[in-house]
Amino acid sequence: MIKVTIDGRDVELENPVTVLEAAKQAGIIIPTLCYFEGLTPFGGCRLCLVEVEKLPKLQTSCTLMTADGMVVRTETDQIKAARRSVLEFLLINHPLDCPFCDKAGECDLQDLVARYGPEAGRFAEGKRRHPESFDDPIIVRNMERCVLCTRCVRMCNDLQASYSISVTGRGSHSFVEPFSGGKYNCEYCGNCLTVCPVGAIMSRLHRHTYRPWFVEKEIETVCGFCGVGCSMVLQMRENSIIRAIPRAEVGFNKGLLCVRGRFGYEYVESEAQLTTPLMRVDGELKQVSWEEAITFIARRLKEIKDAFGGRAIGAIASGRCTNEDNYMLQKFIRFVIGSNNIDSSARNYYAPAETYLESIFGQGITANLISGIANSDGVLVVGGDPTAINPILGLQIRASWRSGGKVIALGAPGGLKRFVAYELMPTPYSEEIVLSAIVGRLLKGKALSGENTAVEAKLRSLRIPSDEDMEVTGISPEDIARASDDLAGMATSVVVIGPDIIQRERASKNLFLLGAIAYLINARIFLLSERPNYQGVMDMGCLPDFLPGGRPVELEMFRHKIEDALGMKAPEDRGLTLFEMINEAETGGLKALYVMGENPLFNIPDSARVKKALGNLELLVVQDIHLTETAGIADVVLPATAWPEKEGTFTNLERRVQRVRKARRGKLASYGRDDWKIIADIAERFGMTRKYHRVEDVWEEIMHVSALHAGLGYEDIADGKAVWPYSGEPLRGMEGDFSVEGLEDLPHVQDSEKPYLMIERSLYHSGTFSRRSKALLSIYPEPYLMINPVLSERLGLAEGEKARISNERGVLELKVKLNKDVPDGQVLLSNTFEGFGAMGLIGFSTGPVIGSLYIRDNTVRVEKVLV
Amino acid sequence: MDIFEEIRALTEKYPDRRGALLPALYIAQEDAGWLSQEALERVSSALNLPQATVKGVATFYSMYKHRPMGRHLIQLCTNVACMIMGAESLVDFLKGKYGLEPGGTTGDGRFSLVIMECIGACDRAPAMLVDTDFHSDLTEGNIVEILEEYE
Ligand code: SF4
Ligand code: SF4
Ligand code: SF4
Ligand code: FES
Ligand code: FES
Repeated sequence: MIKVTIDGRDVELENPVTVLEAAKQAGIIIPTLCYFEGLTPFGGCRLCLVEVEKLPKLQTSCTLMTADGMVVRTETDQIKAARRSVLEFLLINHPLDCPFCDKAGECDLQDLVARYGPEAGRFAEGKRRHPESFDDPIIVRNMERCVLCTRCVRMCNDLQASYSISVTGRGSHSFVEPFSGGKYNCEYCGNCLTVCPVGAIMSRLHRHTYRPWFVEKEIETVCGFCGVGCSMVLQMRENSIIRAIPRAEVGFNKGLLCVRGRFGYEYVESEAQLTTPLMRVDGELKQVSWEEAITFIARRLKEIKDAFGGRAIGAIASGRCTNEDNYMLQKFIRFVIGSNNIDSSARNYYAPAETYLESIFGQGITANLISGIANSDGVLVVGGDPTAINPILGLQIRASWRSGGKVIALGAPGGLKRFVAYELMPTPYSEEIVLSAIVGRLLKGKALSGENTAVEAKLRSLRIPSDEDMEVTGISPEDIARASDDLAGMATSVVVIGPDIIQRERASKNLFLLGAIAYLINARIFLLSERPNYQGVMDMGCLPDFLPGGRPVELEMFRHKIEDALGMKAPEDRGLTLFEMINEAETGGLKALYVMGENPLFNIPDSARVKKALGNLELLVVQDIHLTETAGIADVVLPATAWPEKEGTFTNLERRVQRVRKARRGKLASYGRDDWKIIADIAERFGMTRKYHRVEDVWEEIMHVSALHAGLGYEDIADGKAVWPYSGEPLRGMEGDFSVEGLEDLPHVQDSEKPYLMIERSLYHSGTFSRRSKALLSIYPEPYLMINPVLSERLGLAEGEKARISNERGVLELKVKLNKDVPDGQVLLSNTFEGFGAMGLIGFSTGPVIGSLYIRDNTVRVEKVLV
Repeated sequence: MDIFEEIRALTEKYPDRRGALLPALYIAQEDAGWLSQEALERVSSALNLPQATVKGVATFYSMYKHRPMGRHLIQLCTNVACMIMGAESLVDFLKGKYGLEPGGTTGDGRFSLVIMECIGACDRAPAMLVDTDFHSDLTEGNIVEILEEYE
């Protein structure tokens, strides 16, 4: 126990902390400028000076550790004079353009000078000049205002780990600059903006459009872009979002956001938002009233149900919509229409992967805390770049590396490049062989624990590749040995699984192998999630074979329980998956499709085929916020509310349930209605008697129906404590029944002359929404084809030149960007630009065992466009 | 040897890559006479250090040059002792004789002139460095003789 006295107050401390920290515990706030909680102390500004008895000089309290018996004073005349002098020095070069500075009103320097003076400076010479930089579309930097606290540099290096900025020059010519001296060319997370105490690094999005005191209310919500589910605060003025900012004390993201979360929100104010329902009349979409649209949909659905039965109707749920929205859609399709045909784009990889892993290891196997990754001593990353798909989770992996964790990537490491111990880069589609070899080596000389007999039985019959088998992969047996031994040596390890290892042939084998590795080294599994609520979609029962709470629909016991709770009936057999629905639409078995917040024409490969299939339907209803590609061919389009306009919950990839809150309302908010509400209105036309007035009513019902969510009220969720397994009942004892493709053989990897077209997952765009955000578009304005310099040389295609890529599905022409991290034999294209989707050129079928998207026939011809 | 290889070889001598940064920057500077953005990129990739970090360090020290320099670099001291002993008239002299301004480079790319603060040779002022050679007790007479040695 350490006892110190600060300003006459006795403070007792369990562990030694800094004097600044100790003072804070005693309720004494010492002024600071370069200190920022969470960043390594720097001790550079000297504002936090304090007097310590027996020490001759004033001390910086942010770096001085407490010692037993210390007597500290924090506000003596001597200290005040010292602070005043420090500030006077800072003001020598500070432009004092407060009337013109967006920071005024929340500026630490301004506040400190107001408190300690000086009223006037004595320095008569001119101030240094350094032109404001507008090189970047979303960040503006004004280095004349910089006080060199280095908070931004420490943020960028220590927490974001992007290492994009540095203090350059020296003395009064020191400025914080990116390498280029102009554009940042960084990850644009904006976390440096959060920490800058003055107006030196600012957002351009709202430049000179507000003053900090214009903020009328602050809404705590979670980000609507990806499955990490970062907490954020929307600062509102009337109905406009002024800023999206993180709060260090709220959420597990601890004050960090990524570029999409911080800058991407603008799409909700885009003019392209739908304002009224539309109905196809004489081939064209015409504006109609809500009443007309809903009456029409109800009538047509009834007719189709009467003529063909409920099973001729299907629905697509949405990873962008709330749990409440998805629950209601599920209820409507299953219990009102009488069809289990409900699925979502989670089918691409997320849902089948999780369901499959759960069938091996039990429910909740992927529900692990993201914040634990930083403390793990090893991470295996397979199938995608976490720093692009789930950026804040990616930062956790970087943090693990920083504290000595060993990060191993199978495939291109992307944003983890600087943070991997090494990467294994197998030839395209030979990952399965590499994973089998790793498992083989892990098994060698290791007694199996007997904990999971089903897994171990399968491991015994697994074909382990010989050195000769390995040749085709391009990975040496030594590399396998090293990776396996490193994995085996990890005590608290993590396996991160991304989409690319699942959306392919023999996905079950890849997942089994990854599961087996995790089993053998006792690792926690994380499944990357591209949408904010893929997990919620699943938990709400938007799956053809599972009811809310992850209960199998075909097991009578579970079905009856839910049927009893609702007083309604659901069909007994499993329904159609997303891809089966498209097939059935193609062949005429499916007659009507209700699409909520999803854009299959853009997000599923082979767009031409999908378009034709959907065109066959007798009724296509699309509920969305914009007129998407799919909405464009619908019979009825219903405008929904966007993410900051609704109340509800999302469930993130670690299965944390979090509150989404309404920030915009009233006449400037869009004219849409909440998704759940629209569906409930239609269900009422079918005689559904239960009335829902508020979103809480929907959640009440979910708590009642889903065994997982029992007893989990909105209040508990708001506390941020809604972490798996909540207080509900996870499903136990169902695991152990699974099959694996090709356990006893190895895939036939063939050399393709033409490169494979793969989907680039960009940090700056993630799909339909991001392409309507001006800020994100300004960073990454047009699509390009990423190719390896080797290929570029072969084709005589230089950076910036136009390439034509083609196959039997179509042709695209776009600019080339060289990237030596793209494997030879592949080209990458982002699927996030209007009219330039990568998916159009990709063929697909579905994986036979797990039913995920199976990308195939994706080779393309690449040639130079001669101008 | 390519500077990339040379820098790589250098890392062997240091406990970590960061430690090799200053000597690595010297290697790159010697190669081209100054540190261009491209040179900094090379150093960054050879040492696998972030580009911004390399730039921050390179711009902190005055011995690294960030614009093209003449073949020979004259670093002339004009601080107190040298000033009293006539360094300022040497500056004027160089301007007259070679058209060389402080901070500038001669038209033929032969010399660049940088004005230094005390280089620690006050007892033999005025003093200068030409490249890495030290010269003291300068006068208008001997400075020409000295400089003519450098082509
Ligand atoms: S925006 Fe992020 S990556 Fe870019 S300089 Fe700031 S902290 Fe670094
Ligand atoms: S830009 Fe801001 S955060 Fe960075 S050093 Fe200057 S004042 Fe500090
Ligand atoms: S990591 Fe995901 S949830 Fe977090 S801010 Fe970025 S997009 Fe939003
Ligand atoms: S806050 Fe302690 S020195 Fe800056
Ligand atoms: S003043 Fe010139 S060397 Fe000291």
